[in-house]
Amino acid sequence: MDVSPPAPIRRPATAAAANAAAALPGFLFFAAAAAVVELAARLGWLSSYFTPPTAIVAAMARGLADGDISGQIGMTLLAFSEGLLLAAVLAITIGVLMGAIPAVYDALRIVMEFLRPVPSVAMIPLAILFLGLGTSMRVAVITYAAFWPLLVSTIYGVRAVDPVALDTARNFGVPPFEALWRVTLPAALVNVATGLRVSASIALVVTVTTELVAGNNGVGFYIAQMEQASRLPSMYAGIVLTGVLGYLVNVLFSALERKVVFWSPSARGTAQ
Amino acid sequence: MRDASLPAKRLYWGTRAQRNALGIGVALLLLVLWETVARVKGSVYLPPVTTVAKTFFQEWFSAQFRDQAIPSLYRMLAGYAAASVLGVTLGVLIGAYRRLFRLLDPILQFLRAIPPSAIIPVGILLIGIGDAMKIVVITFGAFWPILINAADGARNVPSERLDTARIFGVGAADQLLSVTLPSAMPGIFAGLRTGLSIAFIMIVVSEMIGSTNGLGYYILQSQRTFAIPEMYAGIVLLAILGYCLNAGFLAVEHRVLAWHHGQSARAV
Repeated sequence: MDVSPPAPIRRPATAAAANAAAALPGFLFFAAAAAVVELAARLGWLSSYFTPPTAIVAAMARGLADGDISGQIGMTLLAFSEGLLLAAVLAITIGVLMGAIPAVYDALRIVMEFLRPVPSVAMIPLAILFLGLGTSMRVAVITYAAFWPLLVSTIYGVRAVDPVALDTARNFGVPPFEALWRVTLPAALVNVATGLRVSASIALVVTVTTELVAGNNGVGFYIAQMEQASRLPSMYAGIVLTGVLGYLVNVLFSALERKVVFWSPSARGTAQ
Repeated sequence: MRDASLPAKRLYWGTRAQRNALGIGVALLLLVLWETVARVKGSVYLPPVTTVAKTFFQEWFSAQFRDQAIPSLYRMLAGYAAASVLGVTLGVLIGAYRRLFRLLDPILQFLRAIPPSAIIPVGILLIGIGDAMKIVVITFGAFWPILINAADGARNVPSERLDTARIFGVGAADQLLSVTLPSAMPGIFAGLRTGLSIAFIMIVVSEMIGSTNGLGYYILQSQRTFAIPEMYAGIVLLAILGYCLNAGFLAVEHRVLAWHHGQSARAV
């Protein structure tokens, strides 16, 4: 029997250099794929609805330079942050109450089960009805969408607090409210940070979606407008920018998650 | 985690029936409150719950269900099925072959960061506003979480399992199908569940932007023509469909992953 090398060698734990070297082929492949699309589009092999990547980059640079796109990015980020912040305040408050007090959980459980399956975008017409087409309508829909994942993970985190830690606090005479603040909340932070990351990426998707469906500004609105004006390079530039935003939001909130929960067993890599 | 049952609480109050009664009581109270506020204020925007309920039965126990809900469900399931087949196949391959994973990772990270609704305008340009566009858009949206989770699942197969298979002389293709794929199943199902909820959102969005029927079209059109009870009835139907899809999915998952749950319960 031939003796093949043992199990695939895990990535060497040495620093960023090894990571960069491992990532290099991926970026080269990315560039090569872009070059192939460029060539195919320039030679007319693709439908004229495909734009060469260089034209997209040029349109993006133009839009960013003259403030056409940059202003829209600002509006998108503003609605996104307002919605996410509102959702975070509501979800963490309600989540802690539901997690810590069984009666509150039992009281709200059925209402929650009814509201949660409503797809957030189905709330757009309802929000238009009450709030019109402005930013507040979008913020309301974003808040609704971002609320649920964070609520569920907050409840989960509060309930999963080690009972021994709570009993210890009680034995030392820590009053219940202080125990909530000093034992339960820090322990639940792990789940809250994870919920926040999931909520943030959902919030961004919903921001762009509401702008597309019923916006009067923002990157989503810009994409829809460029499509109607048949300014395809600009339309693609807007789409690429939403991808960049999505990527940055994910990186940012993953970093936040790691920073907040560096002490938790799962983040340190030791099994629970 | 999203739908996993919450851990049991240490401190209970009352019996199970009492606790359920509280939940149902609060829900009923809210409905009565809605009804009262609606009747007192008489606002067009907030029809009484009873009116919404009446409209719900009139609309959805009629040909409307066939004309609006069936097309939505058909598109959604077609797009979801395509995304599942593509996502699981490619994901397991990418996850099983480290080189392939490294090669494709940057492109995949970028593409999956694009909010799926942003490609609807491209879909409309390339394919028009027919069923095909919606199915493509739904496939695009649901594909990424399925792919990423399947790849993660396949990448993290315990190496003892693969080594054992290799020692017993199992061929590469066989290894992929009978070791990697089953081991990746929990990851695959996590992705399939996220994909399902994204598919459900995408069908509503794509019908709002470019459609002449379907539930997304129906609720937006109802709002625009001030058929307000109809709009509420549409949202309620979406909630019920969403609930049923999720429950159905969990039932399938429970069956398929029964071996895994049993195993992890033993391990803990």
